[in-house]
Amino acid sequence: MNIVVLIKQTFDTEAKIVLDANGKIDANGVNLIINPYDEYAIEEGIRLKEKLGGEVTVVTLGGARAQEAVRTALAMGVDKGVVVSDPAIDTSDDWANVEIIAKAVAQIPFDIILSGRIAIDDGASQTAVRLAEALSVPSVSSVIKLEATGDQLVATREIDGGTELIEVALPAVITAQKGLNEPRYPSVAGIMKAKKKPLKTLTLADLGLSAGDLAPKMVVTKMTLPDPRKAGIRIPGEAADAAKELAKLLHEEAKVL
Amino acid sequence: MDEIKEVSLEMKDYIVSSGAETLSWCMQCGLCTNLCPWRLVPGEISEAFNIRKMQRLGQLGLEGFEDENVLFACATCGMCLVNCPRKVEIIDNVRSMRNTTVAAGFLPANLRPIAGSLHANGNPWSGAHEKRAEWQEGLNIPAFSDDTEYLLYVCCTSCFDTRSQKIAKSIVNLLQKAGVSFGVLTAEENCCGETIRKLGDEELFQKLAESNIKLFNGKGVKKIITTSPHCLYAFKKDYPELGGNYEVVHYAELLGDLLKQGKISFSTELAKKVTFHDPCYLGRHNQVYDPQRELLKAVPGVEFVELGRNKEKSLCCAGGGGRVWAEAPMGERFGELRITDAVDKQADILVTACPYCIAMLDDACAGLEKGDVLKVMEMSELLNASL
Amino acid sequence: MAKGIWVVVEQRDLQIRKVSLELLSQGRKIADETGESLVAVILGQGIEGLAQTVSANGADKVILVEDEKLAEYTTGAYTSVLNKLIRKEEPQVVLTGNTAVGKDLFPRLAQRLGVGLASDCTGIEVDSSSFMVFKRPIYAGKAFEFVSSTVRPILATIRPNTFALGTPDAGRTAEVVKETADIDAGDLRAILKEVAIAASKRPELTEANIIVSGGRGMKGPENYVILEALADVIGAAVGASRAAVDAGWKEQKFQVGQTGKTVSPTLYIACGISGAIQHLAGMGSSKFIVAINKDPEANIFNVADYGIVGDLFDVVPILTEEFKKIVG
Ligand SMILES: Cc1cc2nc3c(=O)[nH]c(=O)nc-3n(C[C@H](O)[C@H](O)[C@H](O)COP(=O)(O)OP(=O)(O)OC[C@H]3O[C@@H](n4cnc5c(N)ncnc54)[C@H](O)[C@@H]3O)c2cc1C
Ligand code: SF4
Ligand code: SF4
Repeated sequence: MNIVVLIKQTFDTEAKIVLDANGKIDANGVNLIINPYDEYAIEEGIRLKEKLGGEVTVVTLGGARAQEAVRTALAMGVDKGVVVSDPAIDTSDDWANVEIIAKAVAQIPFDIILSGRIAIDDGASQTAVRLAEALSVPSVSSVIKLEATGDQLVATREIDGGTELIEVALPAVITAQKGLNEPRYPSVAGIMKAKKKPLKTLTLADLGLSAGDLAPKMVVTKMTLPDPRKAGIRIPGEAADAAKELAKLLHEEAKVL
Repeated sequence: MDEIKEVSLEMKDYIVSSGAETLSWCMQCGLCTNLCPWRLVPGEISEAFNIRKMQRLGQLGLEGFEDENVLFACATCGMCLVNCPRKVEIIDNVRSMRNTTVAAGFLPANLRPIAGSLHANGNPWSGAHEKRAEWQEGLNIPAFSDDTEYLLYVCCTSCFDTRSQKIAKSIVNLLQKAGVSFGVLTAEENCCGETIRKLGDEELFQKLAESNIKLFNGKGVKKIITTSPHCLYAFKKDYPELGGNYEVVHYAELLGDLLKQGKISFSTELAKKVTFHDPCYLGRHNQVYDPQRELLKAVPGVEFVELGRNKEKSLCCAGGGGRVWAEAPMGERFGELRITDAVDKQADILVTACPYCIAMLDDACAGLEKGDVLKVMEMSELLNASL
Repeated sequence: MAKGIWVVVEQRDLQIRKVSLELLSQGRKIADETGESLVAVILGQGIEGLAQTVSANGADKVILVEDEKLAEYTTGAYTSVLNKLIRKEEPQVVLTGNTAVGKDLFPRLAQRLGVGLASDCTGIEVDSSSFMVFKRPIYAGKAFEFVSSTVRPILATIRPNTFALGTPDAGRTAEVVKETADIDAGDLRAILKEVAIAASKRPELTEANIIVSGGRGMKGPENYVILEALADVIGAAVGASRAAVDAGWKEQKFQVGQTGKTVSPTLYIACGISGAIQHLAGMGSSKFIVAINKDPEANIFNVADYGIVGDLFDVVPILTEEFKKIVG
């Protein structure tokens, strides 16, 4: 079984978001991690390999630091890494990213492509499903349980208020939801082996693409930071009045209900 | 063991090169394991963690020490160091073995937000950096300058935890009453990095330490008072490696001297039976035992009793080595033993002198529902109440 | 020329999802402002009766696509049908809710149409040059980006509760058009075997939008029923402080905090929790924090957006009743 795992390096969940002079998110000095949902995808990929044999390749788009994320995946037990690095990626949209990834993945034989269901930075939740379409294969999103045989997958996916059981023939794309598995910690031996595993770096030119092919369909017109938290208020009155007022505030002011 | 494990000399070299220079001195006598407080509690961690064995695996280059319950169990209390016949730097070995996985990006899940916050905010408690000095509101503390003798460095925990802020405020008041010349640079400081270094994140430690050293040297800091024994350790033992050389004291040492010089005295009577829990980082790691006792005995009305395990033999609260951010189920927390020790002595107040110890002991006291018979206090709070 | 604002209406068991009605209500306003028509598109089986509901909620036109293969949502079949419809009718904009269906369907549809997609939006601004600018939270709400599309149609999924429901007007009528489902065989490769709707499955803590949490102030395990009742009204998960876990009232997996789960829901309701730093470390980044505590000095009030000083056993049951009125 040939398994491809798409991963993304994201800001640390604790990272402070600041805008630079150009109104863009400032990545300077920010600690980077593997997108947590992609860790479930990596773990699932390794488990599938352990069960069915084959090879796991991680693919990522990103800058120079993205190699760290791939090394981490290699230490967990992934066999090979591919990083597509190009300045053009800084401004590409979801559609363009998928054009790039599709070209990179086309060079790797695959039966299953796994990825996290969402990236915690842009929160877009598009790449994997778009990739499935670009490669003309079916996909199952938000999977919390996966059973694979040689040529077929049975996936339990989360829907609003329940689950669905879906059967799909390979090749297919799966996006991982929390609960699918518990990602492993690698051994020191694994970490050391990872240093010697193959890690390929590709540019757009290597994939036969140029920045001109990737004119974005979506453009970011501006970025803003949320209003600073307002000072908290204490709702006065007896329990009944206070509770009524609270419900009203949550509904009308905070708009969370 | 029925499976044959791969022995990797390369792995051993890797561990040693991460700082475990004395790993090979260990002769496997097992004294360390015997003294380790994990032997005093039952449970999964206690069963998994054996410091002698962990070092053995490291020596041989064998896998199996990476499990969170093994690699991250040590509270760096230093109890084992006291009796090691080979003077093995056991805690350096622990830190280095942790570094082998942490440097590759694998901190246990519960510690990731801690490291993340240290990166983003310069403190482990997810507090916004710009709020670091908020606790000083209403207090009149000068900024450190050429006119002030000491820099008062306040532990992150006492900057951000409202419970712990009382410690910082009490220390400020005591120092002011004693006429100590000191100032603060709180708003510009970062975490001292002591604990994250013990957790094996050497890179993050260096980032924090370098920023503080730059700040201190830029402002001409020569003498530092710390509120926490952990910061004391970092400034005294870790910072010189990076070019930060200061004369560092814990507030208890300074107040002890001031007491002797008659510059501070306590007048309000406190007719209570008081006992003292020696923080590992003040006691075993920095050999400060007497000032605390002299200070407590100087409070009128206080009847001072020693705990059974005291000074060099003090029992760790389990807050060091990153355990202040780690979970252990009820019944497996060293703090509970400590509360029981104090209750056995029929003490009214259990005093200690470390913000981590306070967090752990407060928690244990509440968990054991002993709050009605025993009060946990930081020494500065008790002294402050008696000024 | 592209024309029309489309809302892909989501129905399950012939019940229209609330977010679809929210979008119709907002879509109506935008349609009036821009002079576009508002079109509701419904896929399913036996859906004819829904046409009236969507027209009452603002649609000028309703497109119904009936087929047994559309009775339950599947990625392939829905993509196949919508792709062809959109290519034929060329709407300006196609909106749907950012639900499990929306999140799965729209990326695929966008890719097939070769267009962009603004996902999980929390705001729409009408714009003269790009027609619509969408506001979307990024970095878990720590920032927002505003995006617009360079091509047509514009696709967007909108987060539930972004827009208010309108008042339906039963007298409104809309043109109803029936289209046949033309589903490509290649789009039927994933087979839906089973749908399991959990009667009241509470969401997982770290995935929940709303969390109701109880601490030592709950006094005992038996009292969690009042929190559960509150939680179930608003689809919330139930959490606990470590004190409640230590006391054996809740399992460790429900512990919120530094050594428990780190959560950042839209709304966190802390009941009988003092707000120790280890607890705050696990939930302090929640968007809105409510504290119910009888101690006015409790630290939790320092981080709460809304606080009630009072006995939780008095406040929580009334709050449950009030929430019922709001969510219907
Ligand atoms: C290493 C370590 C890790 C920890 N990790 C965590 C963690 O992950 N998560 C966590 O939560 N804690 C954690 N703690 C524990 C933390 O320090 C606190 O002890 C704990 O959060 C307290 O829980 P609590 O607020 O429920 O209880 P308390 O602090 O006892 O507060 C109970 C509150 O309930 C209020 N109350 C009582 N009755 C009522 C009533 N009828 N109506 C309204 N209010 C009422 C009281 O006024 C009080 O404020 C950790 C501690 C340590 C040492
Ligand atoms: S006490 Fe020292 S020599 Fe003995 S096992 Fe421990 S580390 Fe090794
Ligand atoms: S330092 Fe303390 S906790 Fe760590 S191994 Fe030694 S005795 Fe045990």
